[in-house]
Amino acid sequence: MRQFFLFMLCSLALAQPPVAPTNEQTGALRGDNSGNYNIINSFELGYRFASVGGNGGMYDSTVNYGDGIRLLSSSLTVQSRDGHGKLFDHLLITTQGLGNDPYQSAILRIEKNRLYRYDMMWRLTEYVDPAATISFGEHAMDTTRRMQDHDLTLFPVSPFKLFLGYSRNLETGPALSTIQLFNSQGDEFPLFSNVHREVNEYRLGGEVRLLGMRLNVMHGWEDFKEDSPQSLLAPSAGNNPTDRNTLTSFQSTQPYHGTSPYWRVGLFREGKKLWAVNGRFTYVAGKRAFALDEVSAGTDFRGTPTQLQVVTQGSADRPALTSNLTISIFPATHVVLTNQTSFSNIRMIGDSFFTEISNGSVVSPTLPFQYLGIQTFANTTDAMFHPTKWFSFHGGFEYSDRHINSVQGQSDLGSPAPSQSPFEQSNQLKAGTLGFRLKPIKPLTISVDGEVGRANHPIYPISDGNYQSFRARAEYKMKLFRVGAYAKSDYNINSDVLTSFASHARQYGADGSWVPLSWFSIDASYTKLHLNTLGGINYFSQGVDVSGESSYYVSNIHSANLGARFTLLKRADIYAGYSHVQDVGDGRATPYGAGLYSALPAFQAAQTFPLRYLSPQVRLSIRITPKLRWNTGYQYYGYREQFSAAQDYRANTGFSSLAFSF
Amino acid sequence: MTLLRVAQAALFLTALSKGADYVGSEACKTCHAPLFNQFFRNPHYQSISSGKEPPENTGCESCHGPGKAHIDAHGGKATIIAFSEIGPEKTLDACLRCHSQTLSRANIRRSVHTQEDVVCTNCHSIHNSKAPKFLLAKKQTELCYSCHASVKAQFSMPFKHRVNEGVVECTDCHNPHGTFAASWRMASRPRMVDQKEGNEEPCLKCHGDKRGPFVYEHASVRIDGCETCHMPHGSTNPKMLKRPTIFTVCLECHNGAGTFGIGNNGVFHLSAAHNMADPRYQNCTTCHARIHGSNADPLFFR
Repeated sequence: MRQFFLFMLCSLALAQPPVAPTNEQTGALRGDNSGNYNIINSFELGYRFASVGGNGGMYDSTVNYGDGIRLLSSSLTVQSRDGHGKLFDHLLITTQGLGNDPYQSAILRIEKNRLYRYDMMWRLTEYVDPAATISFGEHAMDTTRRMQDHDLTLFPVSPFKLFLGYSRNLETGPALSTIQLFNSQGDEFPLFSNVHREVNEYRLGGEVRLLGMRLNVMHGWEDFKEDSPQSLLAPSAGNNPTDRNTLTSFQSTQPYHGTSPYWRVGLFREGKKLWAVNGRFTYVAGKRAFALDEVSAGTDFRGTPTQLQVVTQGSADRPALTSNLTISIFPATHVVLTNQTSFSNIRMIGDSFFTEISNGSVVSPTLPFQYLGIQTFANTTDAMFHPTKWFSFHGGFEYSDRHINSVQGQSDLGSPAPSQSPFEQSNQLKAGTLGFRLKPIKPLTISVDGEVGRANHPIYPISDGNYQSFRARAEYKMKLFRVGAYAKSDYNINSDVLTSFASHARQYGADGSWVPLSWFSIDASYTKLHLNTLGGINYFSQGVDVSGESSYYVSNIHSANLGARFTLLKRADIYAGYSHVQDVGDGRATPYGAGLYSALPAFQAAQTFPLRYLSPQVRLSIRITPKLRWNTGYQYYGYREQFSAAQDYRANTGFSSLAFSF
Repeated sequence: MTLLRVAQAALFLTALSKGADYVGSEACKTCHAPLFNQFFRNPHYQSISSGKEPPENTGCESCHGPGKAHIDAHGGKATIIAFSEIGPEKTLDACLRCHSQTLSRANIRRSVHTQEDVVCTNCHSIHNSKAPKFLLAKKQTELCYSCHASVKAQFSMPFKHRVNEGVVECTDCHNPHGTFAASWRMASRPRMVDQKEGNEEPCLKCHGDKRGPFVYEHASVRIDGCETCHMPHGSTNPKMLKRPTIFTVCLECHNGAGTFGIGNNGVFHLSAAHNMADPRYQNCTTCHARIHGSNADPLFFR
């Protein structure tokens, strides 16, 4: 019964995961013995269905579950019973969504005590984005990302360890894009892109224990290549058919390859006597080479037939060096002082040969280049004091100094680059933190934290300038009952002579879970996320410079989750859940309105985006035999925008499955 | 209660002292049979199966201290190191005695979790783990959501990383044991965000095509990071942007106001050719398609 309660509690606090796979336990937790091994094995096989009405692209972008047979989940654990297995002592395989779910994963861990440990993770994600509100839907994507990570550790608990690793990240699939041609009075044309991006990373490292310290060294190579040719599927009059720009043919190849070898060296010592120290040094020498060959034909804004070829080739480097040194001292019982000093230096240097051939004439070949350097020094000191078990507090101070250099320009071929003074910018940040934690009685925890920071030259209007952040949280937790509440605020003010920027984010929430009866449990959470930002904007409207207006964005998101679980006759489990997200915006009934900080209707409409996204679900799981369950479930998804129905959808999804264990 | 704490503290300090009374894990089996019988599944069982560890690093007593007094007293929390009684500070010390060897835990002393007294046993359940790896007390997302309710709300948004769907985990981007200072955003915040090997944003672990280097970098990506424009947990806006339409994202920085930007001369103002009353110019990335960086065009056209 105790295990049952714990299981029920573990099943709570879910944030409305998809209705399948199920969470119900199938088979015995203790497994079966076979020879010297203990085996626990289960899998859930079923059929998932989905029926979508409305904007299917939006459904695919936000949910994307489809029809078909799936191995919804599986798990296999093989454990040696005496820790002396022949080839391995522990084997773990878990999978989810195999078969054609848009989100699939598999995990493998195999290890032999003290000899080796191998971890593998494989993941697949279908990514769909209609991008309707971003670029007229002309940057839609329908790609698949496959990722795999392999890590082998030899002698994992010895004074000398070896690490080998390999990761692969592959993104492929069709996408749309756009290009602006043929000059500043041109038009934008939709293109088809065949995306192929690939990252392969190889890692080799070791760790050795010396003189009470540990030295960890890792060397890796990250190879990246992108070959995503773009083409025109059909002659196009462009986004603005009233002008005379047309595109009749287009082909672009732009291979972009490179390697980023890196070193990471760590030195650390832990052991609570008087002090602990760790240091880390990393260096990445990123280099990528590229070429672009773009050929297009059509008519320009005068209607003149135009052929344009753009050829670019070159390389870009980004050496990045970082170092960190952390020292912790323990001057007295219950006191920990920690200081970390860090430095990072990132430089980006790029040059490329660029030439344009317009109607057979070469137009000023140039050699553009850019340099961007960022150096950041930071020092942080934190103090923690635990005078009693029921009270502790901490405080800290951080100083950081960032210096940015930038040079951007171009020179004619054969001529030396013109000397240019770099643009420079420095910013110093000073921030202090303070917080305490109270535990007046065992089940109750109260924590309060605050941070105040001042930066003297934030680089962007929205960067942290004069900011303050406060957080308070209280939690009352018992074995079968938990309730918590929190409040959080993040304010940032960044004013200037010509503009001002103020951001106010406030979050409030409460959540709880309760197991009142052995056959019934419930959990619920509510969060209010408020954000308003007021920023000065300056733009041109029909040739007139408009200044003095503001962009005032307001978002008021209410998010609630409710879940209840019932067990009937010790045989059937029913789970009912509901998730509701609603942005009520600033409360307006129409997208446009006077006095909304900007005279331009488009700005007025962009300042709030009320919508509703909800998803109820119910799932039934019946134990047929101790090792076999039948599961079925239904989940509805509804998406509705208040000011436009173009992207709304309703989806009915569900599944039926059998879960076995043996 | 005070006496109990004094006894606990004294026991903790002397637990590892030479000559302490270790009795071996088999002795624990008598009373704690259910735990002992399942202990072979526990990674800590290696300390027993190897047969090579000294008593203070073997089995039950490696964490709970010497058991003789506990047995002599026929049980009781005052005669053994009971983690429910010793408090977060000593719990951390006890676990770090063995588990400090990993570079990923090098910053645990200065981590926000430690400052909040969230230590090992708040997330890891040594004897009743419900997760397949790392002895986590629950499935990872449930564990994190139980405190980070606002993050849970963000992952319920229409556009989000697929954490609830099980294909992305919190630890893909975060290191709950603390991290080194970030190389972006003034090295100040965020504090618990893990870094790619070269101390770059964790976003680049998956989104390698945004990494560059490019001949023409969009400086904001490198200097203040991806969060300048995106909300990495989730958003009501496509592409997890901070705003529902792209031109408001851009214009909040690109307003030409002085003292900002690399040269303190403001961030590039739009040219007069941009007629913002025309919907054509309200979709900035239609022309500036390579907004994360370009090798061919300083205005990110191609």
